[in-house]
Amino acid sequence: MWSSRARYVLNRLIHGLPIIFAIVIANFFLIRLAPGDAAQVLAGEAGAASEEYMRQIRQQFGLDQPLYIQFISYMKNILMFDMGYSFRHGREVSSLIFERVGATALLMFASMVISVGVGVLLGALAAIKDRTILSNVIVIFSIVSYATPLFWVGLMLIIVFSIHLGWFPTSGIATVGSTMTGWQYALDIAHHLVLPAVTLSFFYMALYTRLMRASMLETLGLDFIKTARAKGLSDRKIVSRHALRNAILPVLTMAGVQVSSMLGGSVIIESVFGWPGLGLLAFESLFARDLNLLLGIFFLSSILVVVTNAIVDVVYTIVDPRIELKGKLAHG
Amino acid sequence: MLLIKSWKNGVRALALASVVSVAAGAVMAAPQGGGTLVVTTTPEPAIITNALSSAPTTAELATKIFDGLLEYDFDLNPKPSLAESWEISPDGKTITFKLRQGVVWHDGKPFTSADVQFSLMKVVKEYHPRGKGNLGPVTSIDAPDAHTVVLNLAHPYAPLMKGLSSLETPIVPKHVYEGTDFRNNPAVNNPIGTGPFKFAKWEKGNFIELQRNEKYWREGKPYLDRLIFRFIADSSTRAAGVERGEIDVATFGTINPVEMRRLEELPNISIAKGGYEAIAPVMMLELNTKRAPFDDKRVRQAVAYALDRNFITKNIWYGFGKPAVGPISSFVKGSGAFTDQGILKFDVKDRLDIANRLLDEAGLKRGANGMRTKIVHDVAPFGEDWRRMGEYIKQALARVGIEVELRNRDYPTFVREVHNKYDFDMTSTWSIGMADPTLGVQRQTWSKNINPEVPFGNVSQYSNPEVDKLWETAQTEKDQAKRSQYFHKLQELLVADSPVIWLMEMDLVAVQNDKVQDLITSPLGVRGGLYDTWVKQ
Repeated sequence: MWSSRARYVLNRLIHGLPIIFAIVIANFFLIRLAPGDAAQVLAGEAGAASEEYMRQIRQQFGLDQPLYIQFISYMKNILMFDMGYSFRHGREVSSLIFERVGATALLMFASMVISVGVGVLLGALAAIKDRTILSNVIVIFSIVSYATPLFWVGLMLIIVFSIHLGWFPTSGIATVGSTMTGWQYALDIAHHLVLPAVTLSFFYMALYTRLMRASMLETLGLDFIKTARAKGLSDRKIVSRHALRNAILPVLTMAGVQVSSMLGGSVIIESVFGWPGLGLLAFESLFARDLNLLLGIFFLSSILVVVTNAIVDVVYTIVDPRIELKGKLAHG
Repeated sequence: MLLIKSWKNGVRALALASVVSVAAGAVMAAPQGGGTLVVTTTPEPAIITNALSSAPTTAELATKIFDGLLEYDFDLNPKPSLAESWEISPDGKTITFKLRQGVVWHDGKPFTSADVQFSLMKVVKEYHPRGKGNLGPVTSIDAPDAHTVVLNLAHPYAPLMKGLSSLETPIVPKHVYEGTDFRNNPAVNNPIGTGPFKFAKWEKGNFIELQRNEKYWREGKPYLDRLIFRFIADSSTRAAGVERGEIDVATFGTINPVEMRRLEELPNISIAKGGYEAIAPVMMLELNTKRAPFDDKRVRQAVAYALDRNFITKNIWYGFGKPAVGPISSFVKGSGAFTDQGILKFDVKDRLDIANRLLDEAGLKRGANGMRTKIVHDVAPFGEDWRRMGEYIKQALARVGIEVELRNRDYPTFVREVHNKYDFDMTSTWSIGMADPTLGVQRQTWSKNINPEVPFGNVSQYSNPEVDKLWETAQTEKDQAKRSQYFHKLQELLVADSPVIWLMEMDLVAVQNDKVQDLITSPLGVRGGLYDTWVKQ
């Protein structure tokens, strides 16, 4: 069983390669449709520039080369997993990305745990206690948190919990300039993580709650639940052993989508909470026309999407063994 | 919420009482060493060596790490820095600097005349976007000994002595840069200077940390142990950080003017005025003089009359500035270059009548909808306040029958369309006038600066032989009194012609926590070395 799953994933990944390749090519040309180039941005930021200066920069960035030559050299590099050089930052694209990916992953992981956990719990509760005040409260809560703009939620949390109550810092990932190490440092990061993770969870939590509730209501009405009840199983067992496993599948699909969007990060949350993640890096590099960096982030995102999709498919079969991996692997 | 509010007021009252008593006791307090100063600025710079870039935040960082040959007092007179003394020859064509002895670079190597020679000729003049303006006439530099440099000039150039601060002409180490590709030298983002602070750490997207230079040549300085620059993308969060005391200093542009006024009301926060005299920032509207309707001087003047500079200053920028007289701002009063005598004044009682009359004379009659003509205003992509100013301009010009369409675009698009293609009618911007009009103001209206290759030049494409001649004569004149006369004449001519509408002299104030002492001690303000700044523990 496990080896067939591994083979399935490998197979999916190999099929994903042409997709990634096509994405890279499309990105390369699409991104160049944006008017203005990096030299103009740099000169603009400088407030003044000489012709000589602009020429030097274009030459250095390779912007004076014909497009097809730029394209060929980019593809050559990408095949060797070399994402190129960000002239604006004077650094390798890969080092810029890997420096930031940790912060993004941490934030995403935390918000994923909160939103899936709370979302599934609230959704299931709302379904089990259908047509009670509790269920109505949960539904209303999920609609409100789904509809509230995240930046506003973030700022309100800052005003209440940072400024008025003083429980959490307003921004950043750790206390700047501190010399903390080990557990103390980890706690400091956790302390900074609370507000951004909670804010980011609001949106997905609402989504999971609604998905879970709908799917749970449907499942609870199915025949096998009636059978279970007829067998004399307790409500607790029916819900935990039978209904939950079936109802959670749509949530898994959605969680896969959430993971896929991870590298893009959340520009809004990172911006409001001064979180040094990839979302902001992508956002800034777009406005600076730092194309190599932007392409690098897109490239990694496309890989992540392909990999996550394959993994989610496999996770389905674990949660619900009736689902089979299609193709020749079905009986593996 | 109500509870929180009243509880907070109580705390405020208490805090206020303690601040008052502390202030009373601390009038003569001597600077305390140690401590960390946390500054927030935006955007995060791309590099932190300002010899190669004049981006504002690059300069804010680099001026702590590098020294210049000179510094300036608030009247913009030169003071010693890396140069201890100087002498200008009677013909104005040779300047001799005696350099300070015993200065060492952050890596321990001695600082010598070779570094100055290299920095000025090979780095700043070639690579700094304003290098040609500051050092253009310098043809060669001699270094007769390790602590003397002699600058040889093609012609006398008075502005030179105003452009040698760490902001404009930082001195970089020859031994680190010589023979390398400067822009790709790793030292660009791991800089070695002679300045009060050493580079320690850069966490991209988060902060830059600088540490006290133990061997700084100004003995006992700097007072601070550490200087941290934090980068936070959202302006409301920056304001919250200042309010909560996580951030000690917020530079201009990091917090909206309206928020600055709110923070100022808090007991432990104040506005740090001053420290932009040497930068002389002016806000303006540039008009396309090569295109109807602004090819007609009367229409340009009508716009100048129609806009209420006092309203803009008070209501859009919350008083952080004062109405501008013309291109040459009152920041350079000390040198005599500024005047408001005999200059056309637009803020007169019957200004709307005059504007209407001028437009009638220009042949722009009101149509059926009451409008005479339609123009597009490209709003500078610098943020919310600029968009609000655009909205005001739209309303104000509608009153005299000019219909305005506002266009907001992202930065690269804006630069390309407006500054590189000159495809615009009217655009807003701000420009730094620098300590001498030749350095910063000339480029706006000098016809040789009409060059679509280079953004932020003479965008109005204004070309007037008389104006050109005045700029060029002022450039080479040695006698400051005569130069001032030329500048006064320029002020008069340019305001009357109005290729650009100069709106406001900007106050680039910073917001600071009251525990920060001596933040603004030079005309560069927070863009200075901050070696006199200390934090009350």
